[in-house]
Amino acid sequence: MVFTTVVNFVRSRGPDEFWRKRKIFKLAAHYIGRRRNCYSITIRNVHRALVYATKGRKLRKEDMANLWETRIKAGCEQHDIPYETLREGLTRCDILVNRKTLSELACWEPYTFKALTDVARRRALDDGLKGVTNENDIDRIITRGSLNKA
Amino acid sequence: MGTLLRQIIKNCEHLSRLSISNNLLKPGNSPLLALIATKRYSNVPTPYEVVDIKAEEKSNKEVINQVNQLVKDNNISRLFAVVHVTGKQFKITEGDVIVIEGYWPPTVGDKILLDKVLLAGSTDFTLIGRPIVQKGLVRVEATVIEKTLSHTKTHFRKKRRKQYMRINFFRIQQTYLRINKVCINGEVNNPPEVRGLETAIF
Repeated sequence: MVFTTVVNFVRSRGPDEFWRKRKIFKLAAHYIGRRRNCYSITIRNVHRALVYATKGRKLRKEDMANLWETRIKAGCEQHDIPYETLREGLTRCDILVNRKTLSELACWEPYTFKALTDVARRRALDDGLKGVTNENDIDRIITRGSLNKA
Repeated sequence: MGTLLRQIIKNCEHLSRLSISNNLLKPGNSPLLALIATKRYSNVPTPYEVVDIKAEEKSNKEVINQVNQLVKDNNISRLFAVVHVTGKQFKITEGDVIVIEGYWPPTVGDKILLDKVLLAGSTDFTLIGRPIVQKGLVRVEATVIEKTLSHTKTHFRKKRRKQYMRINFFRIQQTYLRINKVCINGEVNNPPEVRGLETAIF
């Protein structure tokens, strides 16, 4: 081992207590107060933080899914079509765009998202899905024949 | 009721969906309508509708021709595309870098075409695939620029007062893909006679 300082060289001789603790202290370097200086308190907090980090990876995915759904719902509200009807309408038209993409389109490509809601609405009207009525029919943009499966 | 309506429909040619519902709601357009719009019968538009196939085809063609003209004149702005790669969908445009996680065989320097284009669009039009747009129409070129591992992630489980503690470390394979080009090749709604060879390498 190469040591850049004499201090570390001295440490390398005795029991490994210092090194064992140093691994933990390194993780707690940004903590405040006794949490970063007293080992018994540090280890408690580091363990808790690691558990949170492990659980958080899964939670982040769920949170993102919720966020996407919220964004799509906001877009749906703008175009006056329920979220469920939009998804069902798109699926029935074989447009298999997932929630992540839909939310991105709702945010950044408003015209594309409008087109997708129009397709879904046309389909919902044709199939009699709930949430859309003839009143919010669109001006014959999409024709019946083009939506049926060939 | 049915026969009456059919007569009305016969009388007016080329009725669009909108105009028939409007006509029904506005009595007075036809003398026969007054008969229907009484207390006994509903004023609700009929569930069936008149579809003028020729008019629909015409309007479809108009739209397709407009898009084709834009493509032909190279009048389209920057295209975006939604591609399906390794079970995930990415909204990409020229110059983007996407990260593909997990095992994926292509190696550094490989130039590949992303075939599964679910959607492509620019400022003036959007091509929506069912579920993918016509193969070969939208060309998405990409290069693998880097293959690495992610940072070390710690998987740590602990149960209080149960003497249970497990720690594991793992890294995920990552592939960085640079999108070189997103463009439209050929005409919309006019597929080549021999298909399936767009991406074949001879």
